[in-house]
Amino acid sequence: MSSNSIRILAGNSHPALAKLIAKRLGTDLANVTVSKYSNQETAVTIGESVRDEDVFIIQSGCGEINDHLMELLIMINACKTASARRITAVLPCFPYARQDKKDKSRAPISAKLVANMLTVAGADHVITMDLHASQIQGFFDRPVDNLYGEPSVLRYIRENIPDWKNAIIVSPDAGGAKRATSIADYLDLDFALIHKERKKANEVSRMVLVGDVKDKVAILVDDMADTCGTLGLAAKTLMENGASAVYAIVIHGVLSGKALDVINNSLLTRVVVTNTIPHAEKKKLCPKLDTIDVSAVLAEAIRRTHNGESVSYLFGHATI
Amino acid sequence: MKNIVLLNGSSHPQLAKKISECLGVELSSCTLGKFSNQETNVEIKSSVREKHVYIIQSGCGRVNDNVIELFILIQACRMGSAKRITVVTPLFPYSRQSEKSQRKRLPQHQIGSEIMNSLTQHSGSSPSLPQGSFAQSFMGMSMGESGYRQWCARAGTLVANLLQAAGADHLIAMDLHDPQYQGFFQIPVDLIYAEPCIIQWIRSEIPNWRQAVVVSPDAGGAKRATSICNKLNLDFALIHKEDLANTKESMGLVGEVQGRPTIILDDMIDSGSTIGLASEILKRHGATEIYAIAVHGVFSGPALEIINRSPVTAVACTNTVPQEEFRNKCPKLKTIDIAPMLGEIIRRTFYGESVSQLFVHDEQA
Repeated sequence: MSSNSIRILAGNSHPALAKLIAKRLGTDLANVTVSKYSNQETAVTIGESVRDEDVFIIQSGCGEINDHLMELLIMINACKTASARRITAVLPCFPYARQDKKDKSRAPISAKLVANMLTVAGADHVITMDLHASQIQGFFDRPVDNLYGEPSVLRYIRENIPDWKNAIIVSPDAGGAKRATSIADYLDLDFALIHKERKKANEVSRMVLVGDVKDKVAILVDDMADTCGTLGLAAKTLMENGASAVYAIVIHGVLSGKALDVINNSLLTRVVVTNTIPHAEKKKLCPKLDTIDVSAVLAEAIRRTHNGESVSYLFGHATI
Repeated sequence: MKNIVLLNGSSHPQLAKKISECLGVELSSCTLGKFSNQETNVEIKSSVREKHVYIIQSGCGRVNDNVIELFILIQACRMGSAKRITVVTPLFPYSRQSEKSQRKRLPQHQIGSEIMNSLTQHSGSSPSLPQGSFAQSFMGMSMGESGYRQWCARAGTLVANLLQAAGADHLIAMDLHDPQYQGFFQIPVDLIYAEPCIIQWIRSEIPNWRQAVVVSPDAGGAKRATSICNKLNLDFALIHKEDLANTKESMGLVGEVQGRPTIILDDMIDSGSTIGLASEILKRHGATEIYAIAVHGVFSGPALEIINRSPVTAVACTNTVPQEEFRNKCPKLKTIDIAPMLGEIIRRTFYGESVSQLFVHDEQA
């Protein structure tokens, strides 16, 4: 009879982002209550019908990760038993993404476990942003859309960093070189790399700069900023080598532990993160923090998935 | 016992230690913690290759953290080429969310009936309308004009599926709230009962147990209570709750307790309200002493205060959930130790012996 519509459900991890996405799509968030019973078990109640609808559940892997992960799984399962037509899990920051290989004996591959759990709970499709390793898409049997924050980062650099034409893109470690060179190519800028040298185990590693940053604005680019130890040391190394200012742009700003103190005390001019992880509280404590809004990218991906249009346009163009 | 590995999660390390002492096997060292961004961090320090691994984790405390930790432990053992992974859950997480009784937990249910009563008294509602829809449309609840009822997520099947997806081969659970839950699994499930331990406790700790009456605080637990009465040759009574109309008379006691000590039996004490209410009723009907025995002592929220204030003489719970903190706050609380029973189960499943032998030996009166 009637075609189905988009229903957006939000968990407790990042309600602000979910509201932005819903506003962008012109709908309201669905009426869902997610709380805890007195014995700490998660309680999910869906207050409206989702029968035969296209359901998108927005939950980011941040804050109390295990609680949020269980909330997501239970919401997916609830929608499945409520006969939703398709359930898409939208995870701006994928949880446990850094444990994606067995790097020592008896290490769990938690990313694979999370992929299994999402599939078992009943998710038909997964949308995420800037996975730590894009091979994680292969852990799923279901379709995965890995969106890129790169176009938004490029636009930010062009609009907000004065003198960006004289800047240099720096990767704070060898693993992120590919990401940094891609941005450098788009902007037609030079590229540099910081290499960590370990003399012995347990000794503070020395950072070696490969490339020339003298008198240039250095822009550090990484996918995640957790404790910010690496960023702080990198900024110091760059200033010692003659950079005029150091900016840091990361997609997922976890900023746990003493990260804010490290940033405040470091030589960084500004640290820019996207809003895949909520940080409104942190901005009050750290004036150097700035935000790139990616709700438009996620909302566009949701709209295109629902309408059956191509999503690859988003990989190269920043949405308005 | 060679080729066995005992691992414990962070939910109940004391129980795991007791079990390892009963078995004479050391707990394998395993670091459990969290990364700075709150993701769970698990490191198993010794080899599990080709060994039979038993993971002991209870669904208490911070349930979601413990559940994810359990899944990650199972996965780590699977990746470490363990031969067989058995999960031992003294209290199974999300076990009460497998069936429709969840509806009783929603406050709307009670609000609905109270408002219904006040409506019929004041406005003399038209008799042609069915009572239910009148109350709903009056409140304009989230039930909505379309009459859609709230959909309460039931996480029971989900947790069963997740355990299997993580890689468990076998599950040992104690006194599941809902015994049909075994059917949710494809893998073999061994249910063990705390009943023998409870019977032993009754015989040794309740001085005049031979005159006692076993009481079930609701209709659902009648079968559990009668099973113990038959083994001890005692009388039985039942407390019956009426849903609507919360008048006190309708909280009926079926059976006689006048002048007798009573033993209330339930599978779980969570909010404490059932035990509190049941003990008031028994006191009113003339019980001399009131003992409350439950398998799982979760004691969330104001449960301990409710018990301290109630006419209960003593409360006994097994240590499926850590009980030390609760004992400090509530002097009436005693603990029944089930570590030897769990240890026996682990030994028997490891050697491939019969487990049902454990449940047929207590025929002495």
